Amino acid sequence: MTFARRPRRRLLGLASALAVGALLLSGCGAASTAAPADAEPKTGGDLVFLIDSLGATWIPNNSSISSYQGQIWGNVTDKLVYVDAEGNLSPWIAESWDENADKTQFTLHLKSGVTFSDGTPLDAAAVVANLDIWAKGRPDEGINRIGLFPSANYQGAEAVDATTVTVSFSAPTLSFIPTLAYHGSILLSPETLALPADQQADLTKDIGSGPFVVEKVAEGDSVVLKMREDYDWGPEAVGHEGAAYLDTITYKQVAEPTLRTASVESGQAQVAYNASPQDLDALKQEGLTVETPRYLGFVNGYALNTSVAPFDDIKVRQAVQHGIDRDEILSTVYTSDWHAAESFFQSTVPESTDHTADFAHDPEAAASLLDEAGWVKGADGVRTKDGKKLSLTLYPNPYLQASQSVDELVDQQLTALGFEVNLETYDVPTYGQKVIGNATVPATEITRSFVDVGTVAGVLTSQKRGDEDWFRLGTSDATLNDLSTRIATATDREARAKVADELQGYVLDQAYFVPLTQIVQRVYVQAPEVSGVTYNGLAYASYLNAWLNG
Amino acid sequence: MLRTYGRFALRRTGQAVVVVLLAYLFTFVVISILPGDPVTSTLRNPDNGFTEDDIARIVAYYGLDQPWWVQLGSSLGRFVVGDLGVSLRSNLPVSGLVLDALGSTLSLAAAALLVAVVLAVAIAYGTQFLPPRWGQGVLRSLPSLFLSVPNFVIGLLLIHVFAFGLGLFSMIDTETPWGTFFAAVALGIPVSAQLAEVLIASLDHESRQEYVAVARSRGLRSGALFLRHLVKPSALPTVTVLALIVGELLGGALITEAIFGRVGIGTLVESAVASQDLPVLQAVVSLAAIVFVVVNLLADLAYPLLDPRVAVGRSGRPVSVAPRDEPTTPLREEVSIV
Repeated sequence: MTFARRPRRRLLGLASALAVGALLLSGCGAASTAAPADAEPKTGGDLVFLIDSLGATWIPNNSSISSYQGQIWGNVTDKLVYVDAEGNLSPWIAESWDENADKTQFTLHLKSGVTFSDGTPLDAAAVVANLDIWAKGRPDEGINRIGLFPSANYQGAEAVDATTVTVSFSAPTLSFIPTLAYHGSILLSPETLALPADQQADLTKDIGSGPFVVEKVAEGDSVVLKMREDYDWGPEAVGHEGAAYLDTITYKQVAEPTLRTASVESGQAQVAYNASPQDLDALKQEGLTVETPRYLGFVNGYALNTSVAPFDDIKVRQAVQHGIDRDEILSTVYTSDWHAAESFFQSTVPESTDHTADFAHDPEAAASLLDEAGWVKGADGVRTKDGKKLSLTLYPNPYLQASQSVDELVDQQLTALGFEVNLETYDVPTYGQKVIGNATVPATEITRSFVDVGTVAGVLTSQKRGDEDWFRLGTSDATLNDLSTRIATATDREARAKVADELQGYVLDQAYFVPLTQIVQRVYVQAPEVSGVTYNGLAYASYLNAWLNG
Repeated sequence: MLRTYGRFALRRTGQAVVVVLLAYLFTFVVISILPGDPVTSTLRNPDNGFTEDDIARIVAYYGLDQPWWVQLGSSLGRFVVGDLGVSLRSNLPVSGLVLDALGSTLSLAAAALLVAVVLAVAIAYGTQFLPPRWGQGVLRSLPSLFLSVPNFVIGLLLIHVFAFGLGLFSMIDTETPWGTFFAAVALGIPVSAQLAEVLIASLDHESRQEYVAVARSRGLRSGALFLRHLVKPSALPTVTVLALIVGELLGGALITEAIFGRVGIGTLVESAVASQDLPVLQAVVSLAAIVFVVVNLLADLAYPLLDPRVAVGRSGRPVSVAPRDEPTTPLREEVSIV
């Protein structure tokens, strides 16, 4: 189970390399030259988007945050609020909103005239139905709530009139409005929401109000979307009025990465999702466009477990922070499209502040920190203390493509410092069983998006039920408890931003978190004729404003 | 004759039912001893931000918190009345998923079998009647070559040359005739090698027989000789291998389907295994068991028709009435020589 997937991938990769070689020799490689981007958008055209997987279920609440199905939901449905790549919020279906002083009551003013594709109005009653199912789900019928929705404080929503909704919370919930822009918060027809789970799982029955409607679904194979002619309520920030330019979008599952990119090279498809970072430079030279939007959230890095050796010692944690050469990771594993981490958060998060100095690469400082902590280098280069080796097991994160390569490099860098590093690679189900939630795992590699910095409060400690306690501190660190509470209960965005800065400094200073690089979890390889694609703050591609040249 | 056939078929059908039930139980046991379940592993995606409480409630909805014997009992109860249940991964009815995939796989397997048989017969014919240098050298080494190149390499080469290079088919719609043809070639080539090996061996044996020399001396052309005198006696072991190959086609379809982007039984199994989707796996394994047993049954029944020396005896077993000293080709277990 554990190793079942990788070897075949590798073989497939090798075979593809052979095949590509043969192709080049035979001279049938059809590298198209970059066409000049037309300024004038063109109407019509069919776009083919090759995707590694169409994920599991289509039950909206259970699939909308998926990196795969999320692509389709984003073009079939609308949201109340839009978030751009820099984390700025702007109106969408909610034209405006008010909030009370302690941020427990919100009023949403909806755009009028918006309809779902079955003709039913997207009015206040529909929004209330959506808010309720995001907050609570119907777990007894197999429908989840939405993970990042502030459910614990949610008291309810009410339709005041056709275009006004009031929402109440039992405690200050500054994260509410940003959550409405989160990829989980997709608006669906109340009729869809009322369906039982096994019918919601049939995508053709899931009715949204977006610029495209589902035309055809071949389960596990492809989804065809068709432009909706009367669509006229795109997000202001995208700056597109009226219906989409494209006639159709076909999402076709092609599991093998090199076949996805080769299809785009040969002109059979326009977008290939999730190419390997190592292939990107070559693809650019072929004239293809590579888009690497970053999502808002945490940077890629290790959350260190302070409850087990060796990370129960701050000096060892700091040694790891300073022992990792992030520039080498960027230049070896990634391309120039990736950015160095500047903090605990991606630098696109509005509250992110630069704390680079706290974890700068300094192998000498790292070595002396280990010396100070009493770890002595032995003849074999491995440090020991009280007869115990300084050993560490890393588990590459199966949700991040290049994670294994990054961990291999970190392995080398820490081995040079005197660590004995093991790498254990698992597939997604096994990782979910063996690593996630396992109290003995010393370092967990993080991939996590969020729209609102308030989300951070839920991962730092175990003060509240459901808190994730990433560093296994429980409630033992009073400073962190305090920071976490202040973030969670803030009622003022500017004051909260200051706490967030303090928090980033503290977490990095205590070396609870070891940043690696900023995350690009969604990579798009695009044919040069594709123009006008927009990426939101969660790095999903919207084709509302996209068109094909030539 | 008909009654004995009937009894024979009945007995084999009984065996088949036992085999299918065992396959069903075996799948349950294998998946159950793996840690975890598909629902939990999907919900544990760190990006979900679910609490363990959230996850537990959904797991309870699927009955995955029940002890294994309760789960086995309820799934077996549904299975015997023909209800295959709902996929834990996609939440769609398993019967629909399997039926959709089955059509694609059957057309691929049938086309691959055709490709394999045509290729094998062509190679075998060549080894007998082409000039010795070609027949003996190149053609006889072809099967080993076919067997040693993994079929995903063949598949990728075909895609790169015929889809991307020549544009005969596209990765977007792979169920077109050309798409199916090239997938069938990728799947059929290794299979043709095994068939060709057996066919060549039998032909070599038969062509040394006196009756062939007689036929040749009467001036029979090679084509007619091949068709009228050599194919039939050489077909028996080929049919045996063919029956075994059907299983192999279903297995090989997994990789071929994944590479050619087809949704078939193979890709269904792959995603079900990767996500521990027990209801889908149980349905497919049972189906494969049924297909395998049925195909082998058909092979048994085909024996007497291909070779009159093999007949079904009163016991309902196919028996051979060939003379004892006749050097016979390897026969199946059920065929006894009297």
